[in-house]
Amino acid sequence: MPGDGFLSDLRAKDPISRLFAGSGTSPFGQPQRRPRGTRIPVSIVTGFLGAGKTTLIRALLDSPEGADTALIINEYGEIGIDNALLRASSDATVLLGNGCLCCLARSDLQETLRTLFADRARGVVPSFRRVIIETSGLADPGPLLQTFASDRALGQEFHLQALVAVIDAPNGVRNLASAPEAREQVALADRVVLTKTDLADPSALLTELAALTAAPVDSAVNGAIDPAYLLEERLDLPARVVPEHDHAHAHSPGIDSFVVLFDRPLKWSAFEQAMAVLTALRGADLLRVKGIVAVEGAKGPVVVHAVQHTAHRPIELQAWPDDDHRSRLVFITRGIGKAEVEALFAAVASIVNPTSA
Amino acid sequence: MPATDNSMIWNFKLLSHNSLDGFGGIGEGMSMQLAKDGRRILWLAHESAPKNFTAVDVTDPKNPKIVARRDLPQSHMRSNSLETVGDMLAVAYQTKEPGLKPAGFELFDISTPEEPKSISFFDCSGPESRGVHQLWFTDGKTIHMSSGAPDFSPSHAKDDQFYRAIDVSNPSHPSEIGRWWLPGQQRGDNEGPLKRHPGGTDSGFRPHNTNVYPERPDRVYMGYLDGGLIVLDIADQAHPKMVARWDYHPPNDGFTHTVVPFFDRDLLVVSDECVRNDGADWPKLVWIVDNRAEDNPTPIATCPMPPVDVFSRRGGRFGAHNLWENLPKEGCYKSDQVVFGTFFNGGLRAFDLGNPYQPKEVAYFVPEVSGAPFGSCQLNDVFIDDRGIVYTVDRFVGGLYCLEMDF
Repeated sequence: MPGDGFLSDLRAKDPISRLFAGSGTSPFGQPQRRPRGTRIPVSIVTGFLGAGKTTLIRALLDSPEGADTALIINEYGEIGIDNALLRASSDATVLLGNGCLCCLARSDLQETLRTLFADRARGVVPSFRRVIIETSGLADPGPLLQTFASDRALGQEFHLQALVAVIDAPNGVRNLASAPEAREQVALADRVVLTKTDLADPSALLTELAALTAAPVDSAVNGAIDPAYLLEERLDLPARVVPEHDHAHAHSPGIDSFVVLFDRPLKWSAFEQAMAVLTALRGADLLRVKGIVAVEGAKGPVVVHAVQHTAHRPIELQAWPDDDHRSRLVFITRGIGKAEVEALFAAVASIVNPTSA
Repeated sequence: MPATDNSMIWNFKLLSHNSLDGFGGIGEGMSMQLAKDGRRILWLAHESAPKNFTAVDVTDPKNPKIVARRDLPQSHMRSNSLETVGDMLAVAYQTKEPGLKPAGFELFDISTPEEPKSISFFDCSGPESRGVHQLWFTDGKTIHMSSGAPDFSPSHAKDDQFYRAIDVSNPSHPSEIGRWWLPGQQRGDNEGPLKRHPGGTDSGFRPHNTNVYPERPDRVYMGYLDGGLIVLDIADQAHPKMVARWDYHPPNDGFTHTVVPFFDRDLLVVSDECVRNDGADWPKLVWIVDNRAEDNPTPIATCPMPPVDVFSRRGGRFGAHNLWENLPKEGCYKSDQVVFGTFFNGGLRAFDLGNPYQPKEVAYFVPEVSGAPFGSCQLNDVFIDDRGIVYTVDRFVGGLYCLEMDF
């Protein structure tokens, strides 16, 4: 397995490697049909108080597609009015109907998720098929993302499927201007949901959002939106590539979001080492890196995801999601530019593989 | 899967459920015929009388249809095991007591699935025989089975069945071409009497599954109940020789059931059968065995089980039973990466074997069965076709569940 030299070495030399072998395995393990493999998908919904998270989630849980969902309301000590609306209790799991359940994570989200996983195996709670985490308004999604990034935490059992930022048309521009958390929520999101567009003209907000994120933006009135938009993982990154914006503009101080494309397959060692340099030198500023990589020798694309210093285990997919077989990586950084990243990858590639440089 | 009942389902999609018209108790014979007209017919052996077998058209797994069904000729017998090859069906017959008839196996022509026609009956009855418990039939020529015989005198009544190979290349006249039993199993053997398992845990020394694969046509992989795992060399079919044995009981209760080799990985996947209710014989496990040294099979892991404190109280049996055996036949699914097994009230479970030292559960299906005699499902066997459709059956009333792998 990449990053796991021990196993790679075993495969190369020792008869015990046969025990690990088998038809169809690649250096990345058994290729998966989808990035989550067999893990439980998690959608995280962020957004300021009053942005409409609860309305959105409630509508989803009432829909056929939202059946069998475990909802976790992630609280940091205080109970907001949103929770009262959802009938959450402080210490128990509440059944919501439609196979759904709800519980409150007051302090330790990992503990809550572990308990839910164990209770599900015991048949104590309904056999939920996904988890939705509703964060409190001011939450910085960064630590949440890290929770799912490593196997030591929850990465073995749970997979981050989508980070959704909810922002409302009447207050969105003001929140983005006044609260760094709001900008961070949008910048890190896989997709943005615009709410209350019937109450205010969203055009100014849309301009702000376009400057802040490469993620797709869709609107929901009274919670109505395609459930897949909230629940499914999308790999069609070019579709959501932002028009290259100049990184100096006024509304995203410090946060950069850009896409890097590679036309030719990369050597895994080159990718790994370039990322290692970035992580070692600027890990704290590497807010999120995600995408699919065409790796030399791998049949399918390799899904990668890193959050600051932590990198997910790479997953090879059985097939590409579309005809575009280029590597596509979204970088969300604090003060690391596209040109620097591209130069770094080029430099590492030329050292790893001088003939093709 | 509707969320309105207490079924547990993960990474499978339930496509359909058919309670088989009130006769939903299925044993451990499941075999798919690819009929000449293009249909996929799943042949199911019933757990107990009055039904012999039921054939279900699963061409559309969302809409399975019963196309044929037969009753047993006697109520003191069961079929339990069957296999199809092409348009031939072999059904095992075991009687409740030694000395009864019919005990043996019957061959049918199923070229018209609606009208199975008997070709022949191979008689295994005898004063100390109950006939055939299980048969393996994948090449159209040889049936490898666990059977008694009229000329076999077990040293203990529970040891009446042994390994027999029957040539059925002329289906009208099957004939025995080889047999083997654990030394000491027959009265008069030079070896001393086999050491019985204590008290109520004596299940006997006899084979359950007798698997032979084209990758190693010279090997039979057997679960030998209280005798553990036994591998035979049948290069000389008339004179089988034991090449490996792994006996891990005691300390565990016996009843080793199935041995599935993963040839490219030098692994054996071994299942026990749980035979007592309410966790009385826990743990009954699926074992991962390192088979690099063929004469010294070495266990390296077990598949993780659902919590025993919960499941042992759900009613009926809780523990391992049948595995998907990578049947070497057209139309069958094959994997040496994922292990599928049935665990009675633990349902159907799948385990990723990417790291053989740490099998990881990746999918499960535990249906809520209405009218279940012990209050819980008792999933008994599993069959997987080359479309990735997974079929599992309940031992008493639940009938047939058709699922899709969602991973």
